[in-house]
Amino acid sequence: MAGFLQQIVTGLGAGAIYASLALALVLIYQFTGIVNFAQGELAMFSTYVAWTLVAAGMSFWLALVITLVVSFVGGMLIERVVIRPVEGAPELTIVIVTVGLFIFVNAAAGWIWTFLIKDFPNPFPGGALELGAVTVNFSTLGVLGVVALVMGLLYLLFQHTKIGLGMRAVATNPASARLVGIRVGWTLALGWGLAATVGAVSGVLVAPLLFLEPNMMAGVLIYAFAAATLGGFDSPVGAVVGGLVVGVAETLAGAYVGFIGSDLKIGVPLLIILAVLLLRPQGLFGRAAVERA
Amino acid sequence: MSDLVVDGLVAGYGDVRVLHGVSFTVRQGEVCAILGPNGAGKTTLLRALSGMVRTRGTATLGGTELAGRSPDTVARLGVAHVPEGRGTFMPLTVEDNLRLGAFVRRGRAEVEADLERIFTYFPVLKTRLKQEAGSLSGGEQQMLALGRALMLRPRLLLLDEPSLGLAPLVTRELFRIVQAINAEEQTTVVVVEQNAHLALGIAQQAHVLETGRIVLSGTAEDIRADEQVAQSYLGYRV
Ligand SMILES: Nc1ncnc2c1ncn2[C@@H]1O[C@H](COP(=O)(O)OP(=O)(O)OP(=O)(O)O)[C@@H](O)[C@H]1O
Ligand SMILES: [Mg+2]
Repeated sequence: MAGFLQQIVTGLGAGAIYASLALALVLIYQFTGIVNFAQGELAMFSTYVAWTLVAAGMSFWLALVITLVVSFVGGMLIERVVIRPVEGAPELTIVIVTVGLFIFVNAAAGWIWTFLIKDFPNPFPGGALELGAVTVNFSTLGVLGVVALVMGLLYLLFQHTKIGLGMRAVATNPASARLVGIRVGWTLALGWGLAATVGAVSGVLVAPLLFLEPNMMAGVLIYAFAAATLGGFDSPVGAVVGGLVVGVAETLAGAYVGFIGSDLKIGVPLLIILAVLLLRPQGLFGRAAVERA
Repeated sequence: MSDLVVDGLVAGYGDVRVLHGVSFTVRQGEVCAILGPNGAGKTTLLRALSGMVRTRGTATLGGTELAGRSPDTVARLGVAHVPEGRGTFMPLTVEDNLRLGAFVRRGRAEVEADLERIFTYFPVLKTRLKQEAGSLSGGEQQMLALGRALMLRPRLLLLDEPSLGLAPLVTRELFRIVQAINAEEQTTVVVVEQNAHLALGIAQQAHVLETGRIVLSGTAEDIRADEQVAQSYLGYRV
């Protein structure tokens, strides 16, 4: 039993990271209907920015703040420069643009920082909290805390600020949002900036657990896709719940399903994606695509 | 004076031209009805005024050019457009929808006061504040759309077929409210409407649009008395 609980705690820690990247995916999808395949790579790039600042001698937390700001501006710029020209283009065109962005950002990171792995500092203290027979690492607690904080801030932004109200309006009815005077173009850019910032958090959280290298986020992106699919691509709450469920499912499967082990674990998110698409395509928290005029 | 002066307005979609030079004037505080058959370009005319389609020609409100500007800029100039289909933010609450109407306004206290003012026109909305707008009935949604437009404190109100899909009683109530708003706030109104009786009932001026051109203009009484209009839109002979 203790072993089982232990696995769940471990799973939640991993799941929180998937949740934050899934949250970034969902943010952009909600605004633009675009699935941003480059989200993980943007997060990886942000993580390199943080690494560079820390390596230059900056304290971790200051480096983090600067990284988040840089990511925000970067996300906005990408929307303005790369996405804007294909706004309203067929879905396939946009998919190809984001896949292109994926390749470009990945190559750029390799070119700037090389493909050699780098150690990324863990901002949380070592050691653990003993809860009976279950051990919760401080770093797991830290990850959960950060993701909860991000969730809380996003909730405040969307539900209790005017900008947030405008963003929700754009997400649900851009034409009508324009008619009430909202600058839709800038709001979309804001959405991309926000997503890049949230994604950067996931990169910075996962980097100490893996090693920092340009392909670091590839696996995480697949888990995040599973999380967003499970929770519903149009539901931020769904993304977080989905992330936690995927994290726990992956850990449990790795531990208890004999033939899966740690090598086949990556199959778990794919199974989840497949099952959700077959059984409940809109995800647990998503809205079925039914229009009511 | 904040008159609406439309002169030689041309608009369309892509290469297809729909409006071929439309000109008319609405004096401040007046209601102007636009009548015409399906596909005449009535909706396109309102879209041209609020910047939703590309235009040539001019349309000025109190001397300020509206034509050729983006919808968000036009809204900031005090033009509220209740579009065909109402433009409701379905998944958002009734309250959010109303507050969005005032998005470009500053002055919290005034906005709160206006919210209360909207409830005096539409008491039913007050009881539905936290409800999803998409769950309202058609009539309630039309009231919400009108309420959202009023939250801008518009100088010019553009209404596209407010009666669409509503029961006759609800429609009449809605027009009564539009008339009250026009009277109390001196809001200039351009209303596109299939129900010519009702529209002419609250309008001072009216224009008949056919295939992108104004074919008949006059006071509401003139238009009502016109034999051709009577046959086409009022369903009886003079
Ligand atoms: N989005 C669009 N793209 C292309 N053509 C359009 C579009 N909207 C309208 N049209 C065309 O423009 C013409 C005028 O349409 P509009 O909607 O302005 O007519 P209307 O007078 O409002 O008609 P109705 O009474 O049916 O609402 C029609 O021929 C229509 O096919
Ligand atoms: Mg129309």
